Amino acid sequence: MIPLRSLLKEIGGTTLFVGEVIRTGIKNPCPFEDFTDQIWKVTTQSLPTTAVAGFFVGAIMTVQFALLTKAFGALGYLGGLSTSGTIREVGPLLIALLLSGKVGAFTSAELGTMQVTEQIDAIRCLGANPIQEIILPRYIGIVISSFFLLAAGLFMSVFGGIFMGYLFAGINPEEYVRHIPTMVTGYSILNGLFKSFVFAVVLASICTYKGYTTTGGARGVGRAVVATAVTTMVGIVVADWFTSFLSDAFLQIYLGERM
Amino acid sequence: MIAFKNVCKKFGDRTVLGGITFDVSEGEIMFILGTSGTGKSVLLKNLVGLLRPTSGEIWIDGQEVSGLSEEEYFPVRKKCGMVFQHPALFDSLTVFENVAFGLRKHLREWNEDQVEKRVHECLELVHLKTEVAAKYPGEISYGMQKRVSLARTVAVNPRILLFDEPTTGLDPVTTRAVNHLIFELSRELKTTSIVVSHDMSCALEIADRIIMLDQGQIIEQGDRERLKKSPVPLVREFLKEVLENDTAQKPS
Repeated sequence: MIPLRSLLKEIGGTTLFVGEVIRTGIKNPCPFEDFTDQIWKVTTQSLPTTAVAGFFVGAIMTVQFALLTKAFGALGYLGGLSTSGTIREVGPLLIALLLSGKVGAFTSAELGTMQVTEQIDAIRCLGANPIQEIILPRYIGIVISSFFLLAAGLFMSVFGGIFMGYLFAGINPEEYVRHIPTMVTGYSILNGLFKSFVFAVVLASICTYKGYTTTGGARGVGRAVVATAVTTMVGIVVADWFTSFLSDAFLQIYLGERM
Repeated sequence: MIAFKNVCKKFGDRTVLGGITFDVSEGEIMFILGTSGTGKSVLLKNLVGLLRPTSGEIWIDGQEVSGLSEEEYFPVRKKCGMVFQHPALFDSLTVFENVAFGLRKHLREWNEDQVEKRVHECLELVHLKTEVAAKYPGEISYGMQKRVSLARTVAVNPRILLFDEPTTGLDPVTTRAVNHLIFELSRELKTTSIVVSHDMSCALEIADRIIMLDQGQIIEQGDRERLKKSPVPLVREFLKEVLENDTAQKPS
């Protein structure tokens, strides 16, 4: 019962917190430069890691699909199958998990340290709203930059796939790319981008909430970072299931087919 | 100007403040003394709305503030400046930006020249050289960080100054300097000050009135002379150290 109660408490706390962030964003938005600063900071910090991770996610998927397509004599479809699987499912998931460790842990530790060293209390005492001053720019910054980072990672995964397709299965890049449009439709790309956006929101919500509610000195910051890493990973996997379910339902209702 | 009326604060089953009643007049320097964990900092945090009392009333300038929402509290906090136990400076901002933070929030009509002038005035007020302005908090000593924190607090001209153990972690020389600074600032800026501390010698030197807290209750209050003659054992215990130091300093 206790784990269930604490789970519900965490979900309720995070939901109320995100509601407060949205309300503040509508009523008292922070200066535009604060958003762009955060977007720039998060993007430049994580772009190289995301690009490398994206490249290898594409490469891994290609190796796996190459083994299967070779067995069925359908090696020509390797590019389409691998890219579709990466963009729709594996790419957003793996890159989001990587970002949860990098962006999520960093933000949670930064906000947690500000909380335990009374910097957030100092902001309140100076007559300012800490949600508006420090949470809102980080929240929006993480959502936007994570979305772009995920999109960049997915883009790089195509190059990883081309590279490994050539190296591992001897498919030349032209052949690999030629079959991509047959399986990767606009809907697949939208689906991948939608998932990326949802994962970015999950990541931003959890890491800012965990950091902002840190208590208990240095140990508390450590606990907040660990909790952020674990909760974002679980949250992203659950969100992945939910978005897959949603997109399937969308397809069945509006398009009458499964893709 | 400030009044606590039967203020009670509980954390779960634990009572930290058990019905505190006192008032502070305009321009007064009030010291709140007590051993660690007696609720001194909680009392200050209740005053600025960082914590809310479980029961009782807190009045500032004739306004009951304990029931105000977070948004309604912003104008009240503009009257108060709080110096925290930690310097609580913003790590990512320079000393200049730290001191300018409150000015840019409160005095939006000010241009950058006015802000810059005021920041340098405040740094001078706490006896810091203006070269410090370009440094980050991590690049200056702890004592200097405390002074910057003080400068940031006074920059917006608060009418009430609250100090939460302002000399904790400082060496005796810096402690004396900070204590004198509190006195100077209170007199020069004509502010009402509440200082939470366990430094009896400092209290006897600069306080107008002193409150002694123990286990969430006021066990003694009054001016310096009254405290010196108090028969309360904890007060005698605090005084013992001061008297011993005085004896040690007298030539034989």
